[in-house]
Formats: sequence, C-alpha cells, structure tokens
Amino acid sequence: MKAGTPLLQLQGITKEYQMGTEIVRALRGVDLAIHENEMVAIMGSSGSGKSTLLNILGLLDVPTAGQYWLDGQNVARLSQSALARVRGRRIGFVFQTFELLPRQTAVRNVELPLIYSGTAHRRQLAIEALERVGLADRMKHRPNQMSGGQRQRVAIARALVQRPAILLADEPTGNLDSRTSEEILDLFENLYREGQTIVIVTHEPDIAQRCRRIVCLRDGQVESDEDCGAARPDPGVLMRGGQAP
Amino acid sequence: MIFLSNVYNALEQLVTHRMRSLLTILAIVIAVTATITVVSVVQGFTRYVSNFLEGLGTNAVFVAPQRPAGDAGKSLGRVELNEEDFHAIESQCSALRRVSPWIPCQDVKLRYGRDQITCSVEGVAPSYHTVRNFPVDAGRPFAVMDVERAQQVCVLGREILRKLELDEDVVGGNLLIDGRRFRIIGVLASKGNFFGHSLDDVVLIPYTTALKMYPVFRRHLIVAAQAVSAEAVPEAKAQITNLLRRRHNLAAHQPDDFIVQTQGEILAAFNNVGAVAVSVLAGIVGISLLVGGIGIMNVMLVSVTERTREIGLRKAVGARRRDILLQFLTEAMTLSLLGGGLGIALGYALSTLASLHPHMVDVVVPTWAVLLGFGISAGTGVVFGIVPAVKAALLNPIDALRHE
Ligand SMILES: Nc1ncnc2c1ncn2[C@@H]1O[C@H](COP(=O)(O)OP(=O)(O)OP(=O)(O)O)[C@@H](O)[C@H]1O
Ligand SMILES: [Mg+2]
Repeated sequence: MKAGTPLLQLQGITKEYQMGTEIVRALRGVDLAIHENEMVAIMGSSGSGKSTLLNILGLLDVPTAGQYWLDGQNVARLSQSALARVRGRRIGFVFQTFELLPRQTAVRNVELPLIYSGTAHRRQLAIEALERVGLADRMKHRPNQMSGGQRQRVAIARALVQRPAILLADEPTGNLDSRTSEEILDLFENLYREGQTIVIVTHEPDIAQRCRRIVCLRDGQVESDEDCGAARPDPGVLMRGGQAP
Repeated sequence: MIFLSNVYNALEQLVTHRMRSLLTILAIVIAVTATITVVSVVQGFTRYVSNFLEGLGTNAVFVAPQRPAGDAGKSLGRVELNEEDFHAIESQCSALRRVSPWIPCQDVKLRYGRDQITCSVEGVAPSYHTVRNFPVDAGRPFAVMDVERAQQVCVLGREILRKLELDEDVVGGNLLIDGRRFRIIGVLASKGNFFGHSLDDVVLIPYTTALKMYPVFRRHLIVAAQAVSAEAVPEAKAQITNLLRRRHNLAAHQPDDFIVQTQGEILAAFNNVGAVAVSVLAGIVGISLLVGGIGIMNVMLVSVTERTREIGLRKAVGARRRDILLQFLTEAMTLSLLGGGLGIALGYALSTLASLHPHMVDVVVPTWAVLLGFGISAGTGVVFGIVPAVKAALLNPIDALRHE
C-alpha cells in the first residue's frame, strides 16, 4: 500500500436495491483506497457490482451506507450543486456506449463540461484535448460520421478536457473490436504515464493485465486486490514500460 | 455562456423537429395574431369614432323627448319637447353657451331644375353652425332674421352639390323642397363621411320654416346645445334635466320623459362596442393560450423523455439542476416566442389588410400590443415549460443515464 492520503477512499460501501419485496445487494461493504497516479482495473463476473461501484466513485449514484472521501472530503456532506461541480471538474467519466450528443460535432461534445464550469477559451482547450487523443483531424465530425474507436476517443477527450483528478471508465472497449480496443488501451496507458489516475472496469483479462493494480469483485465484495506491477512481473507489461511509479 | 449554449441547443431542437414545433406553436400564433389584429382595429375604430364625435361639436349636449321603457313610461301622458321648452333651455341654462333646435326630416324631395333627388332636410337655428361645428364656406350662414321670419332659405351640404352636379355658383339660385321654393344662401364646409355614410348629404333650413312645413315636429323637437366648457357638461345636463322635469310637472317618483345625451356618453356607448370586441378577444386569446400552453408542455415532456440519457450525460459532466432547468425552460420559451413572433407578423399583415378596406381608417398596430404579444407568449412558455423543466432538472444522473 502506498503512503499519503488517498485520492479517494471507500469504507464499508453498500448499495441495495429494493425490487418488490426482495432486496438486491449490489455492493456489500466495499473498502477501497486509490492514490494519485494509479491505474486500477476493476474485474469480476457479470452482476458482481463493478458498474455500481464505479457510478458511486463518479458521484453519479449514492451508496446506501458507507463513507466515501474524495480529496479528503466526505462526499455525503456535499450539496447537489457541489456534487455537480465535483463531477464536472474532478472526475472524468467514460461510458461503454460513449454517450456523445448525436447532433453536435466532436469539438462541441468535448466543450460540454467547460460550458458548465464556465471556463474561458473553451474551443482552444477542446482542441487540445482532441489532440491528446489523436483526433485533431476529426474536430468537425459528428458522432455518426466517425468509427466506434473515434467516438470513444472523443468521449475520452471530453472526460479529459477539465484535467480531472481521476478518469473513470466503465468497459470503455466493450463495444469495440480487439484492434481498436488495443488502441484505446494504449491511449489510457499514455495518459497514465503522463500522471493521470485511471480506474477501468473491464471483463477482459488482457486489458486488466495492462493495469498496475487489479481489484476483483465477487457478489458485491472485494475478493482480491493485487498490485501486479510488483507482485506479478509480467514481461509484457514491463516491455511496454509500465513500472509502477 | 450557458445562456448562449441553451439558445443554440433550443434552436437546434427546433430545427430538428420542425413539424412538431410548428404544430405546437400554432395556437400561440393564433392567440397573438388575434390580439394584435383586434387591438389595432378596435383602436382605429375608437379613434375614428372619437374624431367623428369631435365633429359633432365641442362639448355638445343633445336633448330629445323619449318615453321611458316599461310601466313607468305607460303611466305618463303625452311625451313631448316643444318650442317653449327650447326657449326655456336657451334662456335659463347658464351652463350652456349656445342652443339650437334640430329637426331632422328624412326622405324629402329636392328639385333643382329638372333634377330631383331625395335627401334629409334639417331645421336649425343660426347657432347650429357653431354648436355642430358645421360652418359655411361659400355664401352666408343663417341669420336671426331668417328664423324669425321663417324665410324659405337653405344651406346645402357638399354631397348635395355633388349629386346635383352643381358648384358654388349655385348660391343665390333657387330650388324646390317638397314643392316649395327656397333660395340657396350658402354651402356648408365638407365634414367627410362616417362608416361610408356621407355627413355632407344634408340641406339646412330655418327651424321655424321646418315646423311650418312639418308641424308634427312641434311636439318632438330635438335640441342641440353646447356647454360653456368641458367641465360644465355635467352641470349643463343637470340644469336641463331639472328644468324639463319642472316644466313637464314630473313627480319625484316619475322617470324623465326626455333624454339628455352628452358627447362623452355617446363616445362611451361606442367604447362599449370596443369593450365587447376586447372581451371576445380575451376569450379567444385565453383559450388559445391554454391550448398552446398545454401543447408546449406536452412537447416538452416528450422532449425530456426522449433526451433522458442526454440529461444524465450533462449531469455527469457537471450540469447543475438549475442548468438543466434553464436549458429546458429556454427551449419552451424559444417555442412560445417563435409563436409570438409569427403571431405579431401575422397580426401586422392582417391589420394592414384591414386598413386597405375603404371604410376602415388608419389601423395602426400600437407598440404596447406588440409588447403584449411578446409578453403573453413568453409568459405561456414559462408557465407551461416549468413543469417539464423541473422534471428534467430533478432527474437523478444514474437513472437518467440508464434510461432506455
Ligand atoms: N437499478 C437497479 N435496480 C435493481 N438492481 C440493480 C440495479 N442496478 C444494478 N442492479 C443489480 O446490482 C447488481 C450489480 O450490478 P452492476 O451493474 O454493478 O454489475 P456489473 O458488475 O457492472 O455487471 P456487468 O459486468 O454485467 O456490467 C446486479 O445484480 C444488478 O441486477
Ligand atoms: Mg457493468
């Protein structure tokens, strides 16, 4: 475990859904701490609670019980508009289904978070973000004029444009073929190397392999949490230059 | 910045759903069109009528015999207003400056040379020229002598000259009124027309002469008077009423057997017509706005449902509740203001069309009606857009993003 205050910390997080008379327990007491500049994969079988956990991390959903500190702040204390502010400025979220606004160009999609934070020079920042994901030449394209991989890059640019403390991605390659997935993963790895903290939910072991830490969920609980950068020196990972910093 | 972005989004939605938007705003277009058109036409009409009433004479007061309605009226004996009443009014009412009888005889045969026409002949006193603001601009007006001696002299309106194809040289000539020879002493200045009816289609003769020719009017005089000032009009009315009630021996419980009407009251009667038009308008506008508002609410609810995921996404990237609220409110307002704008344009067009009609006068769209049109359409947008906007704003981000 690393020293210092974690960027985000969960303690005893549970999430329950009332389904008629039955109670579905999606998360049953998750403890987790993620530090700055970590690249974490969250794995687990379908229905194990990965998305639920990520949505809580992204402040899109609220836990039924448990504590969540982000930047040392208990998020349960935040007002609705403070939550919106944190979502906009500190967190970048990438969805499996991209969630781009269909009628707006790539650059306008990327500008969206900046509109809500009232940032100046939006166009310039959006262009820079698109350049970071290698899409400088697709700025005026609409989502339906781009490939799946390009769309996901736009979505990643949108998540990055505010320079968030943490990038959360829920199966970002779930809708992409393996070659494109590979490219998106390369992109995440580059961002990680530039210092970006990243949490990726994934089903695929080879994607998880490229992360420095793998958290496995099972029935809403953390089953294993390994630091594979050190614990499992995978030559492939090392060759791509991925030591834990 | 958010505002501009909201407007941009709203216009984008509007363009994307052209047909749906157009149908939605139709009722608002109707409401605003009706407002603009009716207000303009009623205003033009009112201005026209008040111009006409100005022409009746300044501070004019009219007195006529009238049997009251109902049993009270039946119990009265003869209802009359005669020459003595006229002289009493003339000499005893201090609030009046000038008084003249006015005996309008319809369908009188007029013969000049070989030409014969039918027109109305009015028996008046010399003061009538001033009371009714009806001066002579060729020849001379009536003199006191003409009345005292019941001379057979007449003054012609311009429309009579036109009908008989005469010019002002006719002054000094003669014509036959119901077979009697009259000398033409003057020609009246033109007064124009009122709703297509010429005010110059008249022949004036001394009232004494008229009473001689048509004795039936001896008991049915109409008196046209002019109060000394605008403020004196109510006082004049009171003086006339008291005087006539006394002269006609009316007991306190008996109603007046005459009617005193002031110019202001006649104007008020016309304004009533305007008020009726305005209340009909209010009805149309109210119903249209309700229909239009419900249409907007419906379309906005559909829009919110269709775009639930978009709302979730916007919240995920930092939109606050109020940002979403304003976004959808802006969208509703854009719809309703577009309806208002089209309505104003259409109202202008219809008002212009109305003013082209020969019997219509200067129909002008007043600025306040335009502002009112914008106001009611914006108001509808806010009132009926708020529910869908609140619904969108309160969506929980994850539920919205999971929406199918
Ligand atoms: N809105 C909801 N209402 C009721 N139950 C829910 C809801 N969302 C999730 N669940 C339940 O919570 C559990 C965890 O769901 P979650 O979506 O987190 O799984 P996951 O690990 O992301 O699965 P997958 O890999 O298939 O995406 C599941 O059993 C699911 O049925
Ligand atoms: Mg999932």
